Amino acid sequence: MRFIDARHDRWHRIEGEDGPIPHPDPHPDRLLTLEQWHAVRDTWPRGLPTAVLLPNTLDVDTLAADLRGPRPRLSLVVLQFPKWTDGRAYTQARLLRTRHRFDGELRAVGEVLVDMLPLLERTGFDAAQLRRDQSVEAAVRALGFFAGHYQGDVQQPKPAFARDLSTEVPAADSGAGLFAGQGI
Amino acid sequence: MYQYTEFDRHFVRARAAQFRDQLRRHLDGELPDEEFRALRLQNGWYVQRHAPMLRVAVPYGELSSRQLHQLARIAREFDRDYGHFTTRQNLQYNWIPLARAADVMDLLAEVDMHGIQTSGNCIRNITSDALAGIAPDEAVDPRPYCEILRQWSTLHPEFAFLPRKFKIAITGAREDRAAIGWHDIGLQLLKNEAGEIGFKVLVGGGMGRTPVIGSVIGEFVPWQQILVFIEAIVRVYNRLGRRDNLYKARIKILVKAEGQRFVDAVDAEFRHILEHDVGGAAHVIPQSELDRVSASFRLPAGIDPSRPAATPRPAADTPAAYRLWLERNVQAHKLPAYRAVTLSLKRAGQAPGDATGDQMDRAAELATRFSHGELRVTHDQNLLLPWVHESQLHALWLAAREAGFATPNIGLLTDMIACPGGDFCALANARSIPVAAAITERFDDLDRLYDIGDIDLHISGCINSCGHHHSGHIGILGVDKDGAEWYQITLGGSDGSMLSGAAAPGKVVGPSFAADEVPEVIEALIDTYRRERLGGERFIDTSRRLGLAPFRAAADAVRRATARTAGAAA
Repeated sequence: MRFIDARHDRWHRIEGEDGPIPHPDPHPDRLLTLEQWHAVRDTWPRGLPTAVLLPNTLDVDTLAADLRGPRPRLSLVVLQFPKWTDGRAYTQARLLRTRHRFDGELRAVGEVLVDMLPLLERTGFDAAQLRRDQSVEAAVRALGFFAGHYQGDVQQPKPAFARDLSTEVPAADSGAGLFAGQGI
Repeated sequence: MYQYTEFDRHFVRARAAQFRDQLRRHLDGELPDEEFRALRLQNGWYVQRHAPMLRVAVPYGELSSRQLHQLARIAREFDRDYGHFTTRQNLQYNWIPLARAADVMDLLAEVDMHGIQTSGNCIRNITSDALAGIAPDEAVDPRPYCEILRQWSTLHPEFAFLPRKFKIAITGAREDRAAIGWHDIGLQLLKNEAGEIGFKVLVGGGMGRTPVIGSVIGEFVPWQQILVFIEAIVRVYNRLGRRDNLYKARIKILVKAEGQRFVDAVDAEFRHILEHDVGGAAHVIPQSELDRVSASFRLPAGIDPSRPAATPRPAADTPAAYRLWLERNVQAHKLPAYRAVTLSLKRAGQAPGDATGDQMDRAAELATRFSHGELRVTHDQNLLLPWVHESQLHALWLAAREAGFATPNIGLLTDMIACPGGDFCALANARSIPVAAAITERFDDLDRLYDIGDIDLHISGCINSCGHHHSGHIGILGVDKDGAEWYQITLGGSDGSMLSGAAAPGKVVGPSFAADEVPEVIEALIDTYRRERLGGERFIDTSRRLGLAPFRAAADAVRRATARTAGAAA
């Protein structure tokens, strides 16, 4: 999982005083809204690295043509968590990976909290822009509690019953006693 | 019972460690209340009126003596020495300080227990028939499928933040004792003419503000594909379920609103997963996995299924109390020489479903002595011993009586369902326990109870319906009017059992009643039934035949106060 620092991000939104500019010029490293992408898609040069920000209400099937192939038109798909308890983007991410075989970067933005990291990773996100007050250290720790899960996911498509569990290191035990005896 | 593997044990310990980390960050001020909330909920921790409430998962109601002893210990050492068994076959504690929460999770993990997904907007603990695996009318033992589904739903990464809670119930019997029509997904295992096993799948049932009975979305889904089919349903719900209004967020609202479009969307999703998605077919259950899990549910060692029944006729001098107990608390078993015995948690002086630490220990000892160390938590908030040999019944009765579990009232009026209500629950509009106590007191005469016969009385302290008032033959719902407690009474509801008929919500008997009127209203309804019943009619039959009118008139006749907003609730 890559943690995105917005100050050093290569992708840039194209906004004027009244919000997103309706017809941005082609340029590498543009992060477009879905409306912008729809507006420029037909004239946008192929091969230009492009990112798009999707609302979590979008049926990702509608983007299918832009996601396929060895060199998809979209390099980065940014999915949103307007509230961290709104889980729609997990389904979008999983479908982008498993149904549309999207191979580019899949990034979570919005209210992205430390404890969402295991879910993000397992549904196919490979980048997360944590909410500003969140600790990267705690987020990394949150990724380390479980050695394996029951159901398959994007990272590990096989459910426990299809895996050889004897090879899975029980990382849990090292963490279990981490804070024991501290009155917590 | 399912036997935990090393993987399962590591998993539960990892969950306890993860929770300890979250709790530490919360107590250190790094994780504010509103963000800790959803995390603790998915581990069973609510914040109630007096202290946090912990809901411990008892998957499909199966419990071992060892686990129950540990639950007793937690009650004694961390709570005020009791717990409450719920309609969803779980156990709740009410007085554990949050700072000790992680220690309790560690103790639970010691006996392969946890609070995973007993709350929150996720797939909740799966419930089943309390007679699963032992019922004479069972086509297929549902427990291996319950366990496979439990594992699949546990910490599912895509479905941890659904629009609302999501409940699944499974039965494998002809009679529905798991109220499957009332669940977000209801599953009934069937065997077709070719001997193949599959699921009839219902979707969109639920209680709450808008009671709905689930509708059939799959007539016969092969067992191998059930995880994929459920994944399709839950995915469509996660994508399209409403999130703008808490009261319209359950899947039942989506199913109603979309109708055939919902069915088509699920079918399309199901086919996509199986035929197209990367790893899509990975969750088709292989025979080897069913066999592995089923091995945990073989007959307990020492049980001989071929042993014929030799039920001795009770002697002429058998105490009447024993005969009543045999009649009400003992049920037939698929093995002729065995019985299922219910330990009644419905008795004067204690709230329905409550047990002290000592009582939990006593129940665990009875299970060790008489039931191969196994118990079930029933949907009606009692405990059940599934493996009692008929020759042991009398000894069990004596021991159960001594422990206070032998009230011969199973299925009768005082065997009522009640949520903890306003005494504990922060959501409740009104108290349930005093109402239950007043009714128990008024109907304490056994002869009268037996004369009234089979009846389901269900009490909820608020519209969230934890006390399943919608499905009671008589339902009592606590409502708040101008800061006072009132109670709406419904008639003719059904959970879907044979006795009660097809699942249906009860109908409201006029405006709400004041708390102190409720016992009299119940008595008036009962008296109307006793006056009007024909032949062997039970309460539910008479109420269906006559409709609301005579019952409503009888209830109104004892009305002393009327809610100022009378009629608003109807």
